[in-house]
Amino acid sequence: MTDLARVAAQWHGELPVAVVHGEVDASNVAEIGVALRGLVTNRSSVLVVDLSPTTYLDSAGINLMFSLGDELRGRQLKLRLVIAPGSSISRMLSITGLDKAYPTYPTLDDALSA
Amino acid sequence: MPQPSLDELLETLRKLQALQRVTDVGIGYLPLEQLLNELLQRIAEILDSDTAAFLLLEEGGDSLLATAAKGIEEEVEQGVRIPVGRGFAGRIAAERRAITIEDVDHADILNPILREKGIRSMLGVPLLVEDQVIGVLHVGTLHPRIFDAADTELLQLAADRAATAIERARLFHQRGVVEALQRSLVPEALPEVPGLELAARYRPAVRRGGIGGDWYDAFTLGRGGLALVVGDVMGHGIGAAALMAQMRTGLRAYALDGHTPAGVVDRLNRLLLTLGQRQMTTLTYVVLDLEREQVTLVSAGHLPPLVRAPRGETAVLAVDGGPPLGVSSVSTYRETTFDFPAGSTLLLATDGAVEVRGEGIEAGLERLRTLLAGAGDLVELCQTVADGEVRGSPADDDVAVLGARLQLLPDTLRTTWPASAETLPAMRPLLRRWLGRWGAAEDEIYDIVVAVQEASANAVEHAYAPGAATYDVTAEHEQGVIRVVVSDRGSWREPRGTHRGRGISMMRALMESVDVTQDEQGTRVELRRTLGREAA
Repeated sequence: MTDLARVAAQWHGELPVAVVHGEVDASNVAEIGVALRGLVTNRSSVLVVDLSPTTYLDSAGINLMFSLGDELRGRQLKLRLVIAPGSSISRMLSITGLDKAYPTYPTLDDALSA
Repeated sequence: MPQPSLDELLETLRKLQALQRVTDVGIGYLPLEQLLNELLQRIAEILDSDTAAFLLLEEGGDSLLATAAKGIEEEVEQGVRIPVGRGFAGRIAAERRAITIEDVDHADILNPILREKGIRSMLGVPLLVEDQVIGVLHVGTLHPRIFDAADTELLQLAADRAATAIERARLFHQRGVVEALQRSLVPEALPEVPGLELAARYRPAVRRGGIGGDWYDAFTLGRGGLALVVGDVMGHGIGAAALMAQMRTGLRAYALDGHTPAGVVDRLNRLLLTLGQRQMTTLTYVVLDLEREQVTLVSAGHLPPLVRAPRGETAVLAVDGGPPLGVSSVSTYRETTFDFPAGSTLLLATDGAVEVRGEGIEAGLERLRTLLAGAGDLVELCQTVADGEVRGSPADDDVAVLGARLQLLPDTLRTTWPASAETLPAMRPLLRRWLGRWGAAEDEIYDIVVAVQEASANAVEHAYAPGAATYDVTAEHEQGVIRVVVSDRGSWREPRGTHRGRGISMMRALMESVDVTQDEQGTRVELRRTLGREAA
């Protein structure tokens, strides 16, 4: 993976959390996709993607979230997104309707306790 | 003293001719191992001995290693080591004189192979290069023999010539290895960062065995960051170059892992100490933030960096420096941040660039500062420094020099990019800087950058038949309105797939107007946004 972005995996019991640091664009979205999909297991019914430390997300990244959500749904799994309210990322999500398609939470704790 | 007989004279002549063969020009170019074996063959013939062996002083100088042998090949196969000062060879090296043994059975011999082989008498001499012992040469016979002064003189003559040949072959070999190593360690190409000019030079030391541990490095970090390094591992030769390789790799690893500049240098210090080599290393590590137009510096006992401001004033940067790396595990390093406005130049170098023996470092730094003040082209500046301009003559130490200049951005930004998604992250810091110039707010910068990048991603995607395709991005500002045109020479394709086509809707949401025009020349997307209006 390039130094542009980094996916840090966290396990809260059986529940996987992918924390996406840095910038996601068309140049690294494929690698980010591989990292996120690598965290999907059948032991948990949920995947949390924490976009609060993400500093840039373009349509390639947003498309990835939609595709990932579709795939999870096909396996009876749920996608939860953590988005810092009022951030540039949250504006991109509302422009594209991603925040309507999947439940979003202001903090990781909220996403975990939901 | 009786006159020598004709036979004796002929014998001496034969030996002199044989000795001549030890110094044949031709064998000087053989690989070391072959050279040593060839020399032993000739020396055994001259001295009429059954065995002959070279033991060479190992790095560190504490022991001799059997390196080539004739008649006692086991010595080399088993890698026999003799401590300097002990045994036959060890004493020759320590006492720097010839030693003869008439009867091996009654002598202080460390190496059992000599006895096992049935050697009875021995003669050994030191190998000297410029008065330094580099090893030992000894010969032996299977029958008792008394080596006389003439034998000793002859062997010492052979040893002197052999020592020179060995040293030459060894340096030649070592230089080849170190140069290959060094070439692989200096970055093949400096990163291409739009809006930034970079130049660097590395010049190996010219003196004997002087290839050293200086290096430079430059690589991009995430979000408009660029890492610049100039460092100096003390010492020379393969050891220094290999350690430098480890330092360079370690630094990159820590930096790419997202540590702060001081955190990177702290870790590098501990890394060096765990490598068990108390080999001092100095370095300056700089993170250049293109968007904020700042440099953050950490110095570990290194020559201070110099800077030239956009208006031309030059200064030696007062970095809060820590001790060299590899000295103490409790050393701590602090970072210092300076403004680095567009038009500024940063110059990093190693001691070799400025140091003149018998003179304080300040005088050299002052001359470097003067050179920087009058410098035009950055590549030329680095070349001049590497060539020894500051010292008045080429350095006898190696020199690494790295320069960075943040370019002033023009009112209208005209850029051309290869049609590759890799250009997107490189473009963002440039666009952000340019938008910042016109007073765009954080949110506005973000929105406009996303819109321009969506149009650029489309241009990359439309491209094209294989080949070196490019696209253009032109950004203009007029009375508070930002206008960006992204044009390519491909044909617009309707986005396909379930999750495609969000790019164009994002552009429309983020900008006041988005006009897409197409003709046979290609596709042109014009984006406009007035600064200071309500955010999307």
